[in-house]
Amino acid sequence: MPREHLLKISVSGVRGVVGEFLTPSLALHFAQAFGTYVGRGRVVVGRDTRTSGPMLQHAVNCGLLAAGCDVVDVGILPTPTIQIYVEHIHARGGIGLTASHNPMEYNALKLFNKEGQFFNHYERNELIDLYHQSDFTQATNAEIGRVTRDEGTAKAVHLVRVLAKVDVERIRRRRFRVALDAVNGAGSVMTPGFLTDSLRCRLDAISIDPTQIFPRVAEPRPDTLGDLAALVLKTGAEVGFAQDPDADRLAIVDEMGRVLDNDDVLALAVLRALAVVPGDVVVNLTTSSAVDDIALGFGRRVYRTPVGEANVVETMQAVGAAIGGEGSAGGVIFPAVQLCRDSFTAMAFLLDLMAETGKTVSQLVADLPQYVRKSGRVAFEHGRLGGLMQALEEGFPEAEADRTDGLKLLWTDRWLHVRASNTEPLLRLAVEAKTEAAADKLYRTAWGLLTS
Amino acid sequence: MRGDSGLRISHVGLRGIVGRGLTAGHILDFAAAFGTFIEPGRAVVVGRDPRASGRMAWEGVVSALMACGHEVIDLGVVSTPVVQHALQRLDAAGGIAISASHNPAEWNALRFLGPRGTYLSTAEAGELLDIYHLRKFRFREWNQLGALRFDEGALDRYIDDLAAVFDMPGLRGFRVVVDCCNGTSALILRRVIERYGLDLVLINERVEGVQFAHEPTTSARMVELQLGPLIKPLNACAGFLFDVDSDRVAMADEQGRGVSEEMMLPLLADDQLSRGPGKIVITNMSSSMLLEDVAARRGGRVLRVPVGRQAAMDALAAYRPEQIAVAGEGTGAVMMPQFRFIYDGIASMLAVLTMMRERGRTLGELLSDYPKYAILKGEVRLESPRVPALLLDLLAAYPDGRIDRTDGLRVLWPERWFHVRVSQTEPIIRVICEQRGEPPQELFEALMDKARSYS
Repeated sequence: MPREHLLKISVSGVRGVVGEFLTPSLALHFAQAFGTYVGRGRVVVGRDTRTSGPMLQHAVNCGLLAAGCDVVDVGILPTPTIQIYVEHIHARGGIGLTASHNPMEYNALKLFNKEGQFFNHYERNELIDLYHQSDFTQATNAEIGRVTRDEGTAKAVHLVRVLAKVDVERIRRRRFRVALDAVNGAGSVMTPGFLTDSLRCRLDAISIDPTQIFPRVAEPRPDTLGDLAALVLKTGAEVGFAQDPDADRLAIVDEMGRVLDNDDVLALAVLRALAVVPGDVVVNLTTSSAVDDIALGFGRRVYRTPVGEANVVETMQAVGAAIGGEGSAGGVIFPAVQLCRDSFTAMAFLLDLMAETGKTVSQLVADLPQYVRKSGRVAFEHGRLGGLMQALEEGFPEAEADRTDGLKLLWTDRWLHVRASNTEPLLRLAVEAKTEAAADKLYRTAWGLLTS
Repeated sequence: MRGDSGLRISHVGLRGIVGRGLTAGHILDFAAAFGTFIEPGRAVVVGRDPRASGRMAWEGVVSALMACGHEVIDLGVVSTPVVQHALQRLDAAGGIAISASHNPAEWNALRFLGPRGTYLSTAEAGELLDIYHLRKFRFREWNQLGALRFDEGALDRYIDDLAAVFDMPGLRGFRVVVDCCNGTSALILRRVIERYGLDLVLINERVEGVQFAHEPTTSARMVELQLGPLIKPLNACAGFLFDVDSDRVAMADEQGRGVSEEMMLPLLADDQLSRGPGKIVITNMSSSMLLEDVAARRGGRVLRVPVGRQAAMDALAAYRPEQIAVAGEGTGAVMMPQFRFIYDGIASMLAVLTMMRERGRTLGELLSDYPKYAILKGEVRLESPRVPALLLDLLAAYPDGRIDRTDGLRVLWPERWFHVRVSQTEPIIRVICEQRGEPPQELFEALMDKARSYS
C-alpha cells in the first residue's frame, strides 16, 4: 500500500494537506524558526491563489513578527517574482506560500535566503534543527516589527529583468497570437499583463481568475491541458502557455494543439540562453541528451545533478552556469534573471526565438536534436531497492554507471535512469535513445530486470 | 520562578509579557481553542489595542479563527468596549479583544467574549481552557476556511450607542481634561468631540504601540499626578484618566484632587439606583462598604461575590437584567445595565458628567455628600501553600466579626472590615481594610505583619 504523506517536514520546508495536517500552529512555528534563523530585518511573504493562503499567511506573519522581523506582504505573486523581490529589496529572506503543482488541498512554506534563492543544503539543515529545538527569538513589545503591504513593485522588477534579456521590439512587432491557461494561479495576476502590455501579444486566456479554484490538475502536463490545446486550435494561436499555480513552471502547446515534452521546452530555452549569455548548462540526470548536443554547438559544457530544483540550483551557482533546469519536472532556470524556475523567462525566450527565426513552435521543436524518451514507474517493496539496483547494474555491465542519484547507466547513444521517489515506495524509470526501437528495447529490458 | 514571565493561562484568558512568557504559539493555540469552542461556521469579531505586539497577536488570532472555519470581522485598533458593542450589533458567535488593558506596554492578553459581547461564564471559560490544554482543535479543510473582512463603522456605532443613553449635547458645558495614556480612548473621544462638540481637552492623545507616556494605571495617585496641575489652570470641572483599553477610568475633581478609584462604583450606584428599575448592586468583597450606605439610602441592596470578573458574570447571570442597578469593582471598573454589563470607562465618565449636570453640583460637591471611609491596601509576596495556615490564623485572631470565607477571608464589623485573599494574577496575598472616618492603620499593620510572618 502506498504511504500517503499528508504532511512532510523536510529540508525543503513544510508541505501538507491543510486542516489537521498542515496547521496554522505549524506554519507559525516554522516561520518563527525561519525568522530566528535569518535574523531581524525584512522578510518578504507572498503566496499563490490557494484558499488556505490567507490563513497560513497570517500565521506566518505572526511567527515572523514574534521573531522580531518586519513583514513585507506582497500578496498573490508568482514564486519567481517573490524570489526576485527578496533580493531586490535586500530583505533577510522570503517565504512563499505555495504547494506549487500539488493539488488544491495542499499548501507549503517555501523558504528563500537573502539572495532570493531556495535555502541550500546547509541552510535547510540548520533551519530544521532550529525548528526542532524550538529555540526561537521571542521579540518583546518594543522589538516587534511591522507589516507593510507592497503590491505592484515586485511585478515590475521581475518583468524588467526578463525583458532585458530578449529583443522586445522584435517580439512586439510580430503581434503574436497567444493562448494562456494560468490555472487561476499566481500567474493570473501577472501573465496577462506581461503578454499583452509588455510583449504586445494578442491574448486569449482561460483560468486567469485568482479568486477561483484550480479548474484542472495543477501540474501542467499533456493530459491536463486539453482546454488550452482546444483554445489554441479555436483561436488559431501560434503558441499556448500553461503555468502551474505558482507560475514557476511552464508548459507549451504548439500551434497544432500538441503539448510539448518538458525536455523540449528546456532545450529551446537552452538554445536561446546560450545565444544571449556566456556560461555552461546544468541539468538533472534525467534530462534529455538534447541539451548536450545544443551545448556542444555553443562550445559549452553540461553538468548533471541529482533530481530536484535545489540540486540544480546549487550546481548552477557553483559553476556560474548560464542556464539550467530539469527536463523531467519542467522549469527553466536562467540566473541572469534569477536563480530559480521562471515561467516568464521561458515564455519570453520562446517568443524571442519565434520572432528571430520566423519559425512555428512545431518547426522549432523539429529542429532540436531528436531523441526518443520513455518513462514509467515500478512499485517495489521496502528492503528490495538495493537488490533491484544491483540487478540492473549487473544486467548492463558494458554501460558507464553514475550513482549520484539512484542509478544512471550511460552508453554513447542512449541512457537509462532509475531512482526511488522521495515520497512513495516507487521507482521511476526513464530511458532515452536515438530511435524508437532502441528506446523500446532498453526500456523493456530494464523493466524486466526491475520486475523479475 | 513563578510570575517572572508574567504568563498566566486561566479562566480569565491568556496574558503575559510578550516574548518573555507569552509567545506567538500560546496566542495562536488559545485562539484556536476559542475557534473550536464557539458555534461552528459563525463569524468572530476581533479588535486590538495599539500595543506593537497587538499586530503579532492579531495575525495569530486571525489565522487560528480562519483555520477553524470562522469568518473574522476585524475592527482594527479599538477598545474592548467597542468590540463588545459591535458584538451586540453583528451576527457573530463571539469575539476576541487583544489588549492588556491597564498593564504596562510589554504585556498583552487575549480576552474572550460571548455572542452578546459579555465575558465568558465560569463554565464556558473552563471548557475553553480544557480545549486549549487538550490541543485538539477543529481545523477545517482547505475549502471550509474562514475569510477576513474589515468592519469600518464600529467606532461610530459605539458612539451612537453611548449617545442613545447620554445626552451628549447637554454635556457641552463641561470643560474636562482627559489623559488618554496613548490608548484607544483618544480615538473615541476625538470622534466624540467632532460629532458633539464636547469641550474635552485631550492629553497623551497620540496612539502609541511601544512607549506610553506613563504606566496605564487608573489610580487616584496617577490621575492627580497627570491631571492635577492642569485642571485649575484650564478652568476644567474634572479630569479623567483612561487605561490603554479605556475599560477603566480614574478621575480628579475640579480642584485637581485625585478621587479614590473606590468612589466610582458608589457614585454610579447612587445614580443608577435613583434611576431604577434595578435595585441590586453587584460587587466583590474588596470594595468599599460605602456601597451599603448608598444602597440603603436609595432602597437598594448590595450583593458581594468573590473578586474577579468571572464571579461577577456568574452573579449577573443569576438575575434578570432589570433587577440589577449596576455592577463593578473598587478598581473603578463599572458595568451598567444600559450597555448590557460591560466594563467601560468612557460610559462611566459620561455617567459622572451627566450626574453633575442633572444634580447641578461639581464633582467635589457630589463626593462630599457621602460618609467618609478610609481604605488601606497592601500586598505580601507569599508562596501559595502557606495561605491556608495564614487564613486560619487570622480567623482565630479576629473571632468577633462577621466571617465570610467565600474568597479568602473577609471579616466585617459595623464600621470596618478587612479582606485577605490570594491574587488571581500574581503570587501575592492582598490585604485590604477599610474604616469609617479615620484610616484603620493599626488593624492594617497587624494584618500585614501576620501575612509577612508567613512569607
